[in-house]
Amino acid sequence: MSTEPAALAAGIDQKAKEAYFTASQGQLIWARFRGNRTAMIAAWALVLMILMGLFAPFLSPYDPTIAGRDENYENGAPQFPKFWDENGFSARPFIYATERERSIKTNFRWVVTENRDKRLYVRFFVTGWNYKLLGVVPASRHLFGVDGDGKIHLFGTDASGKDIFSRTLHAIWTSLAVGTLGVLISFVLALVIGGVAGYFGGWIDSVLQMVTDAIRTVPSIPLFMALAAFMPDHWSSETRFFFISIILGLIGWPTLARRIRTHLLTERTQEYVLAAELCGASSGHIIRRHLLPSFTSYIIVDLMISFPYMVRSETALSFIGLGLKDPVNSLGALMQNVSKADVLLNYQWYFIPVIFFVALVLAFVFVGDGLRDAADPYSDTKK
Amino acid sequence: MAQFAQFALTRALMALITLLTVSLIVFTLMELVPGTCAERYLAFKNTQGSQITIADIAAEERRLGLDRPFIERWGKWVYNVFVHGEFGESCILRVDINQLLSDKFWISLGICMAALVFSYAIAVPIGIVSASSQNPVVNNSLRFVSYLGLALPNFLLALMIMLFSTVVFGDSLTGLFSKEFRDAAWSWAKFGDFLSRAWLPVFILGWSATAFALQTVRALMLDEIGKLYVTAASARGVSGARLLWRYPAKHSLGPVINSLGFDLNRIFNELPIVALILTLTESGALLFESLARSNDQQLAGAIIFLLTASIVVLNFTTDILLALIDPRVRRGMMG
Repeated sequence: MSTEPAALAAGIDQKAKEAYFTASQGQLIWARFRGNRTAMIAAWALVLMILMGLFAPFLSPYDPTIAGRDENYENGAPQFPKFWDENGFSARPFIYATERERSIKTNFRWVVTENRDKRLYVRFFVTGWNYKLLGVVPASRHLFGVDGDGKIHLFGTDASGKDIFSRTLHAIWTSLAVGTLGVLISFVLALVIGGVAGYFGGWIDSVLQMVTDAIRTVPSIPLFMALAAFMPDHWSSETRFFFISIILGLIGWPTLARRIRTHLLTERTQEYVLAAELCGASSGHIIRRHLLPSFTSYIIVDLMISFPYMVRSETALSFIGLGLKDPVNSLGALMQNVSKADVLLNYQWYFIPVIFFVALVLAFVFVGDGLRDAADPYSDTKK
Repeated sequence: MAQFAQFALTRALMALITLLTVSLIVFTLMELVPGTCAERYLAFKNTQGSQITIADIAAEERRLGLDRPFIERWGKWVYNVFVHGEFGESCILRVDINQLLSDKFWISLGICMAALVFSYAIAVPIGIVSASSQNPVVNNSLRFVSYLGLALPNFLLALMIMLFSTVVFGDSLTGLFSKEFRDAAWSWAKFGDFLSRAWLPVFILGWSATAFALQTVRALMLDEIGKLYVTAASARGVSGARLLWRYPAKHSLGPVINSLGFDLNRIFNELPIVALILTLTESGALLFESLARSNDQQLAGAIIFLLTASIVVLNFTTDILLALIDPRVRRGMMG
């Protein structure tokens, strides 16, 4: 009686072991990654933010550019939908209508007042400004809005009445896009330079190493600043966007290139490379088909880890005014306004995008860390 | 000894080559800036009312030696910098860069080095203790704090401290000197005033450096602490702080010394932005000024070169130091 469950358990154990030994590298990494709770939470947060960025036009009730401004509610505080007030309860959440007036009573200044008797109910799937979903499908439906001519600003508005909620969602996407482009460019550069240095070795390696080391020694933000300062003021926001990504990529490659080179130097003396050489394979073929796949997982992890640095650099550049500028919504461009004393003291809701920035970077760091631990076959034994 | 001298000489030569490569990169960057110094100077004259012609620009270019080929100009620049320590004249301000920078650069370097010392003064003890502690709460919160060092950039921290101090103390804590000392010559009183204000930039610059250093120290300690010689030492009856300091810490701090240069690099990265927010009057702010506002390529190049040079010097010093205390490094370098 008592042997049966044990035998059963042994069978399951055997199966689990078999599955473990026959699993591909990807499956192993995924299994280890799934076991890391912090990394999984971070991964979900990351996916959520990416989706928010991807569907930003649908989720945001108003155009994030000056076209979507609310001239009746400039520098307006965030509006929270309510379910009840002194006038009674409502199943449908509502906000109050705002009115703006300028008269002798207000000393000829614009004063925004809230009309507590006039409720604006929150509606879902309303028709609003036109956009292209995912850049192709023309649409004008938005997740939410309020009825009538009123507008709802969950995160408040900025000095020109632009909705900060809409801007934040679009900014997440822009920052992600800049980061992705930058990582891709630096990845290709690192692959080519590190690959050539590591595979050929000798004097080519020495020269490339010298250049790589020199670039690594120069502090990158001053270098970014120097490159970004070349940007003429008349460039369009798209050109600026691409230029900034290219700069980020041009400066980000040395660390990864060095790692690829070190790896190649150790791998190229292995027997399988010799075997391929004896079969008459060309250098390019050996690098592409044999050497690179041997450390794909490390490259992916490295890219993931360098991502927050890219986003951070973009933010820092835009923050000091050398990166993306106001009509474009990037997290850094949104933070530009935060440093004004007026904002610090009176309009603290400008800081809301900062929370998203911190969350985005933290999510990337935790996912990158989790991936690194998962890709390291010795991580279990180390701890 | 001869071996050590040879090692030091090789390292010095390598540092010199790195510096030369850096100078080439910086000089090329300066060349890439749209417009030349001559045009900039004459554009200024133009605003003052005098008519200028193409011939004037050409004459000015000849006077500044801008008509010579690129390599020759680079050689001259490098020669002046390395032999005379001269960076030439600023394009816009029309003053000698050395004069403009001398105080400001040393202040920047002092602040950054202080931030570096600050970060390791915190990171080394805490890192060692956290690596030897098995408490998951301690470890996880430390990990979180180090990640926050990356996620909460220094400029945001600076902003938040400014907001807080404006509301609470009514003083935004910006600037490096009080009003009465701003233009005074250096004296003990001025130095004291400087110290009373410099702690904030030091703290802010040290913030993310501390987070990084903490992670490095902890990871290195974790690698060492499980090794057999530590077990053997504890079997011999060594325990507590004595065990940690004399055995694993000694070994794990070697690589830390080696990476000091990169930590300084990271601190320099933050410098211009923090300087901008705290309205510091030192070379970080000057760099920003020369790049973003006035396109002063001579000045910007000089500052970037000086910053990088101090990193190279630090790298060289730590290498020599490490070789002095650890003969394995020396032998490893000799091949």
